[in-house]
Amino acid sequence: MQLFIEQFLNGIAMGSIYALITLGLALVYGVMRILHVAHAAVYTVGAYIGLLVLHLTGSLFLAFLSAMGFCAFLGIVIERFIYFPLLKYPPYVPLIGSIAAMLAIEELCRLVAGPYILTFPARLPFPVVHLGGITISETLMAVYCITAAVLLFLWYLTTKTELGLAMRATSQDIPIADAMGINSHWIMSITFIIGSAIAAIAGILVGIYYNEVYPTMGAVPAYKTLALIVVGGMGSVPGAVIASLLLGVAETLLIGYANIPLPRDALAFIAMIAILMWRPEGLMGSK
Amino acid sequence: MSSYLITVATFIAIYAIVVCGLNVIVGFAGQISLGHAAFFSIGAYASAILTTKAGLSFWTALPLVILVSGLIGLLLGLPSLRVKDDFLAITTIGINFIVEAVFLYIPFFGGALGIGGIPRVFFFGMKMRGTAFFILCLVFLALVLIVCWWFTRSWGGLACFALREEEEAASSMGISPVRFKLLAFVLGTVMAGLGGALYAHYMRFISATDFSFPLSITFLGMVVLGGMGTIWGPVLGALLLCILPELFRPLANYRMLLYTVILLLMIRFQPGGLLGEGSVARKVFSFRLLGGKA
Amino acid sequence: MTQPLLETKDLSKHFGGLKAVDKVNMKIYPGEILGLLGPNGAGKTVCFNLISGTYKPTEGTIRFGGTRTDGLPPCQVAMGGVGRTFQIVKPFGSLSVLENVLVARGISRYGSFLGIWRGWKTKSERREAMSVLERVGLAKLADRKARLLPLGNLRRLEIARALIVGKKLLLLDESFSGLRHEEIMNLEALIRNICESGVTILLIEHNMRVAMSLCDRIVVLDHGKTIAEGDPGSIQENEKVIEAYLGRKGKTSAA
Repeated sequence: MQLFIEQFLNGIAMGSIYALITLGLALVYGVMRILHVAHAAVYTVGAYIGLLVLHLTGSLFLAFLSAMGFCAFLGIVIERFIYFPLLKYPPYVPLIGSIAAMLAIEELCRLVAGPYILTFPARLPFPVVHLGGITISETLMAVYCITAAVLLFLWYLTTKTELGLAMRATSQDIPIADAMGINSHWIMSITFIIGSAIAAIAGILVGIYYNEVYPTMGAVPAYKTLALIVVGGMGSVPGAVIASLLLGVAETLLIGYANIPLPRDALAFIAMIAILMWRPEGLMGSK
Repeated sequence: MSSYLITVATFIAIYAIVVCGLNVIVGFAGQISLGHAAFFSIGAYASAILTTKAGLSFWTALPLVILVSGLIGLLLGLPSLRVKDDFLAITTIGINFIVEAVFLYIPFFGGALGIGGIPRVFFFGMKMRGTAFFILCLVFLALVLIVCWWFTRSWGGLACFALREEEEAASSMGISPVRFKLLAFVLGTVMAGLGGALYAHYMRFISATDFSFPLSITFLGMVVLGGMGTIWGPVLGALLLCILPELFRPLANYRMLLYTVILLLMIRFQPGGLLGEGSVARKVFSFRLLGGKA
Repeated sequence: MTQPLLETKDLSKHFGGLKAVDKVNMKIYPGEILGLLGPNGAGKTVCFNLISGTYKPTEGTIRFGGTRTDGLPPCQVAMGGVGRTFQIVKPFGSLSVLENVLVARGISRYGSFLGIWRGWKTKSERREAMSVLERVGLAKLADRKARLLPLGNLRRLEIARALIVGKKLLLLDESFSGLRHEEIMNLEALIRNICESGVTILLIEHNMRVAMSLCDRIVVLDHGKTIAEGDPGSIQENEKVIEAYLGRKGKTSAA
């Protein structure tokens, strides 16, 4: 029973990390209807920048801040140079651009930092919690708390601020949002800034959680998070979060308990396709 | 001709066959498929197994390979086409991962070691290798191109074009979306399977990791860059995306970076493809395209 | 008494709580031009979509030529000889005008497995398609790409395509909207011409003058229900109809 709870908690942590990565993707899809595969590269860059700044300054706080800033900038570059000009083309065109960008950025990381797995030696300033015989490490606590903080921030932003209202309007109907005086292009850019900054946070957290940073660390989450936003209902942030948590828990428990001769990725996709067959518009999507 | 050039040329021919298939699905029928490499692998494995474990020759196995590719295309296409656009994109990505996992983990398919010792192709007792095999691939490519050309002139092809442009209007003219999307899909997977069989007998050793998701993206890149919905686009796309990495080979470490940056620039500035409407190449050379439209 | 070509009984379509079409009983007789009128949001296009198979009725039946067609997919309804145009034109943009019409001609082929492999670029097919284009006045634009056409010509193209498919019944959805005066006169003449050749027509129209002038009979919907039925003269005097249209002004519209 204890093992089950520990695995469950790991699953929630896994799911939270997926959620952080997927959030940015869901936000971008919401306003631009583009599958931003390069998001995974932004996440990887976040991990590297965080590691670099940590080495340079020794401050984890600065590491987070600079990674968020740099990734926000990277996100804007991608949006302005690749996506916005390609908006009028069928969706696979920006998709190919996105994948090309992701591969190029990964290659840059490999060339600059080397193909080796680097370690991320950092202690997250969170308490270790003991709860009825279960020990929750400070890393897990960090993941839970940071994810919760980000979700809270997003909730506040989208429901209580004017910016959030503008974002929601743009994701519903761009021409009408424009007609109402909302500069939809700026909204798209701001969405990228927010989404990319969150990806940077996710990158650093993963780097610390697994103590690994390497150029292709974005490859696996890239396609899983795609499937997650689809299953959650395209562009629906709550849906993406729920789907991420479900996946995190399901994956961890399945690996621990079942013995299916297929790898995690295949199982994840099978589960997602099954859900899509049942609800073709996603868990929280609308027809 | 140097054997290095023949090797590259053979790959171009094989990929062109596969990409013609993807062009039918994406270019002619307007459906998205990000899992085409899966059907390439199905053809490769089918031919490999039939010739190694069942002892058939390449030629006797071929009709079966085509049948299997088409059938699995039908089976996977039916549920996939229930979903649209981005959902379809994700589903086809999933197909790629799942098929790869099946070949990798189920022992019958050789697992991580793949299948080796795939026999050569014999033609009237003559061993087909090097230039001879390349010519064989060219012949198949020509056949595939003829089928594509015929398709664009057939009512089935016209129905697919109509579906691609306006699905609702097309169905108000008696075109059943499911039927014709499936038709295009199966045609596409059959061509991919054919390419796969040729690949298997060329490499003589295959393993599931040869056919993973990045290959599907390469195929899509070839279709888009060459010019979707045209007859020669897939050939041009295959040519380009096979030659570019070879050109950059001397740059060793920077090869991949340069290749992806060029891909990015191409898609950014010529999204219609090199043979597509409004492309620089079209304007400069005033191509006359044989059938099909972008 | 002739049998109706198309008959709906208690036809209803609900979207959640909204009754877009509510127990509509309609009969269309062969050879007539029936107008389907009503203020915005009355349910006219939904009726079209039910008849053409795009929607499945929540309740009620549709009989075409005696057989039930409710629940059939649009492609099958089309094969039965029902052609339709769309309120927002849907041309096959990258195909030429001629090719657009040829797509409609293929209806006799799309059902057979062998038929779909036969070629469409034959001289005889081109001839047949051209004759339809001549009828709607688009013959000179046969080789132009459809997406380059102005609205008036696009509406003609819609009608040309629907004409080929709709050998028995033609559904015209606001074909006159957005047209200039001259185009309206030409289109009116064309539709009369089509009717004279024996095709039954059901049309939705907001242009009152055109509707009154073209239609033999009119059915008026409001809030999904039939509120009046009869010849143009009596409809114009009908109090409920006048209230439905004029009474809307000043209130926030439903759409």
